[in-house]
Amino acid sequence: MSEPIGLVWLILLLPLAGAVTAALLTPARFGRTLAHVPMIVACACAALLAVTLLTQWERIPQGQLLSEPWTWFAAGRLHVRVSLAVDALALTMLTMITVVSSCIGLFSVGYMAGERGYARYFAVMSLFVFAMCGLVLANNFFLLLGFWELVGLCSYLLIGYYFVRPSAAAAARKAFLVTRLGDVGFVLGIFWLWKLSGWQTDLTAVFDHLLTHQPPQEEITAACLLLLCGAVGKSAQFPLYVWLPDAMEGPTPVSALIHAATMVTAGVYLVGRCAPLFALSPTAVITTAWLGGLTALLAAFLALAQTDLKRILAYSTVSQLGYMFLALGTLGAVHPTLAVIAALFHLLTHALFKALLFLSAGSVMHALGGIIDLRQFGGLRHRLPLTHLCFLCGAAALAGVPLLSGFWSKDLILESVIAASEQSPAYGGGYYLLLLMSLLTALLTAFYTFRAYFLAFWGPERLPPQLQGHVHEASAVMSLPLVVLAIGAVGAGAILEPFTHALSQFVATTPALQQAATVVTAPAWQPHIDWTVASISTVLAATGIALAAGLFARGEPEQLPAVLAPVMTLSQRELYIEAVYRAVLIRPAEGLAFLAKVADQAWDGLLHLLAALPGMIGQWLRVMHNGLVQFYALAMMLGLVVLMIFVVLGLSR
Amino acid sequence: MNPWYDDAGAATLGSVFRYVIPEAVLLGTVCLLFLFGCVYNRRWLWGCVSLLGLVGAMLVAGLYRPGSMAVAETAPVFTDALADLVRWTALLSGLVLLGLTWPEVPSSRAAEYYGCLLTLLAGVALVGRANDLLTLFVALELISIPTYVLLYLPYRSATTREAALKYFLLSVASSAVMLFGFSYLYGVAGSLKLPVLTATLSQLPTDVLSPLALLGAILALAGLSFRLTLVPFHFYAPDVYQAGPAGVIGVLAVLPKLAGFIALGRLFGWLSANPAVLPFPPATSVPSILWILAVLTMTVGNILALRQNSLRRLLAYSSVAHSGYMLMGGVIASAWSEAPAATAAAIAPLVGGMDALLFYLLAYALMTFGVFAILTSLDTPDHTVDNIDELAGMGRSHPVRGLLLTIFLLSLIGMPFTAGFVGKFLLFVGAFTAPAAHPELSRLYQGLAIIAAVNAAVAAVYYLRLIGVLYLREPVRPLPRRWAILPTLTAIVLAIATVLFGTYAQPLLQVSQKAAPRPAPAAVQHSSQP
Repeated sequence: MSEPIGLVWLILLLPLAGAVTAALLTPARFGRTLAHVPMIVACACAALLAVTLLTQWERIPQGQLLSEPWTWFAAGRLHVRVSLAVDALALTMLTMITVVSSCIGLFSVGYMAGERGYARYFAVMSLFVFAMCGLVLANNFFLLLGFWELVGLCSYLLIGYYFVRPSAAAAARKAFLVTRLGDVGFVLGIFWLWKLSGWQTDLTAVFDHLLTHQPPQEEITAACLLLLCGAVGKSAQFPLYVWLPDAMEGPTPVSALIHAATMVTAGVYLVGRCAPLFALSPTAVITTAWLGGLTALLAAFLALAQTDLKRILAYSTVSQLGYMFLALGTLGAVHPTLAVIAALFHLLTHALFKALLFLSAGSVMHALGGIIDLRQFGGLRHRLPLTHLCFLCGAAALAGVPLLSGFWSKDLILESVIAASEQSPAYGGGYYLLLLMSLLTALLTAFYTFRAYFLAFWGPERLPPQLQGHVHEASAVMSLPLVVLAIGAVGAGAILEPFTHALSQFVATTPALQQAATVVTAPAWQPHIDWTVASISTVLAATGIALAAGLFARGEPEQLPAVLAPVMTLSQRELYIEAVYRAVLIRPAEGLAFLAKVADQAWDGLLHLLAALPGMIGQWLRVMHNGLVQFYALAMMLGLVVLMIFVVLGLSR
Repeated sequence: MNPWYDDAGAATLGSVFRYVIPEAVLLGTVCLLFLFGCVYNRRWLWGCVSLLGLVGAMLVAGLYRPGSMAVAETAPVFTDALADLVRWTALLSGLVLLGLTWPEVPSSRAAEYYGCLLTLLAGVALVGRANDLLTLFVALELISIPTYVLLYLPYRSATTREAALKYFLLSVASSAVMLFGFSYLYGVAGSLKLPVLTATLSQLPTDVLSPLALLGAILALAGLSFRLTLVPFHFYAPDVYQAGPAGVIGVLAVLPKLAGFIALGRLFGWLSANPAVLPFPPATSVPSILWILAVLTMTVGNILALRQNSLRRLLAYSSVAHSGYMLMGGVIASAWSEAPAATAAAIAPLVGGMDALLFYLLAYALMTFGVFAILTSLDTPDHTVDNIDELAGMGRSHPVRGLLLTIFLLSLIGMPFTAGFVGKFLLFVGAFTAPAAHPELSRLYQGLAIIAAVNAAVAAVYYLRLIGVLYLREPVRPLPRRWAILPTLTAIVLAIATVLFGTYAQPLLQVSQKAAPRPAPAAVQHSSQP
């Protein structure tokens, strides 16, 4: 297709076509064995197209492609238009989403084989990819909201994939409700922006308008904070992170795709996309930074003593997302390109190594017949050599082992926080504190990641008794994505940024970032490698890994020195935060609900009384419809006379 | 004085004939049907001939577009965007009705049935083009008279005879009242031409507006109210709906209302060339009467529908209620004539009244035709489905038709993502934001919107009860398991349109807004000066 925007439409619609095809296959007999084909073909084609677009990007004028808008609906001043916008930021996300989803789709073929609802799984996964691409591409806040909710719906359907299991159903409900809490803020924020921006809803138009007509500081801060609510819910940040660990009830590839690599990064992407707005509001930005920093440390702490491998990975996802928010929270104090590129870089590398970690965990789970509790197995490195190697690559990247992808992206975030603490006029001290917190988080990350690694793969072999002899490496269709992602997790970071600066040069062309740069005073940023940061984080990672090795390399779980025991207990009980939520929020809400129920029943009685009234009037009116045509004619004439009297009275008044 | 040629340089009938060729094609087909129907009367043959006639009329209407008329003031017919919209609505309704009525057309009287149907359609199309009171009257009667025949044609039983007779008697009475009103209007204005009539009446200062003109307006309104089933002129509806054949009732529920509202809009100036200058502005008591009629109609219709166990009576009352909602459009349009220029400019992008009414009419046609398509598909010559209990369990026994009926009922409730929702939304917003000279008046309009919203909530009760019956109850006795391909296909098309225009309303809205342009702020300014 010659028109580049046509290519973008094709990328968007391919997964939708895949979803529809897979859904149509559901009743067919071969749907149980072939339903994966539409999703994988669609995602792979979309990925190819995205890469094609990436290579052709230099020829695009102004660094942005806008589709011809058409009006979806309009009421009064509200014009909601369907329009897509592609810039370097969106294209990077698009490429990541389609590539990772192709890998995970392939892995699912082996993982989900023989499951009930095989076609349903692939239909919803494909629909998810469509929604995620739409979310990235939408150039209208309401369209964005539509895809945002569709993504949430797919997440709900996939967490509750094993819907006969009550815990899965409850987890799906929890995820849906908690993210919805944030979405309320998001919708309000959109409406506020609509009002602030001269009744426009297109993202580009809103940015242009707000940068030329700057609204009062409080209003733009409020709007940004409301948008941030939505981002916090979707990206599982404090205090709304509680749904993500429970979301691990879904099949593991779902956790890898939706709850690690793509959907949960939607909030990060939203804030990055709205960088021109956040640049206008230092308060919203510093709030983002604190939320991110707190979440990163808190989730890293909670991950320390978990025994469920997937739960460890889930908390680590929350923690890493916190890093990304922290990077975004330096926007304004440092040049916007640095802040957004740091977040985006970590987003990309995290997508690779976390998807790899989840798929490796899935491979373990597949081999062990669904068992994922670290207390029940260990020493798997001989039985599952490939999985072991892949998990090691992912864990090393996550822990920040030098030269792997996670190392470089984390360093960039630390660099941006350091720059912020030096340059921020108002919040320098705050950023310094945040820097210390993020360094501590880096140490904890290395520790808990390798704790999980050692417990699962080192020491003497421990297997559940019923599985002796059955444990073996999975088929090639599951191994291939693991290897691809492992290569990405090891090498992508070094290739993308520190030596080539390809990513930063590419993303810096994004018009929104250039717009954001016009309102901040921070000096421009030159990409370079900061060797001080690199050496500090190397030391931290080495310390964390060494600690974990010292404590757990024997592979025997939970033999802790007495000093650490209370800390680990606290972490294992998740700081009693769920209990606090239960006592502070859920109990009062239940009490309120009970009161409301009583009040509602009283109202209901009253309303039943009221509702009976029309019925009684109706009984009385029905007498008049007696079927006599003479009476009907008389009634009509009487009505006419009444109307005439009304007119005559009106005249004589 | 001959009213057809009342001015010097008047248009002859011949010179305006080219504006009504599609209608002439329809009536020519009718002549064929009546002439040769007695020779060989078969449903498939005459159905095909009617289809050909309709398609021919469409081809003519689509391909032959005579320019605007030089002597529009004096010609008996004329053309504008609204006239075209009405004609296309009539022709497309014709296609829908051919599919919808197929099972109930008696083979032995097929030619007569289709003849009456096409006459009626020609009448509807002519109502949009009528430029004087006489043409308007003739066009309206072209709708009424075939209906008398149609009501009795398919199933000739004592009950249908009674229904046809009732409709005939009351309709004739109402036509007489209307004609009486027309004569007063003619007497006051001195012309039968609608543009002259509205211009003359609107130039009279309101305080000396002739009582005769007001009486004429009320009489004409009363006559049209019969067609619109406004309370208290609605009494025939439940009886006729209950006894008549479903397809004909579908016609009766939609087309006379369409014609009636168009006629009312033309007569009261809402749909004239300049809707800012009305013969009966809110200063006269006519809009207040419309307000009262609207409230009365929707409330009485909904209340009576609440306790109905007869499906057809329920639909009759529901159609009464919908007329009440639609009449709001007229109230809003009247309000716009006295909007202060500043207000008009400030809220110009909002609803103008008649555009909302037209949208609602089209949406109402979609969903009502849909409901009756399902009903005709369930009826047999020996038994018509009437008691609600007969539909119990239809969601399982007839899944496709059950789903379609649910879609139409949801649209009648006004659920989002259906055309009915958009229509109600436009009308309610229009009433809520209607401009008013005094705060009391504006409170009246807002009150109208609130009453209508309460009514819509009440109406949801009986529609939802019906949906509940479809899906939640066990069948009492099985419905006929007969395939009715044509009505079902028609219903599928209508359901798709209902959902489509509910999700993406812009095309239909643009058509309505083109046919009924809102008064331009400049024009409003002009009229606000004495």
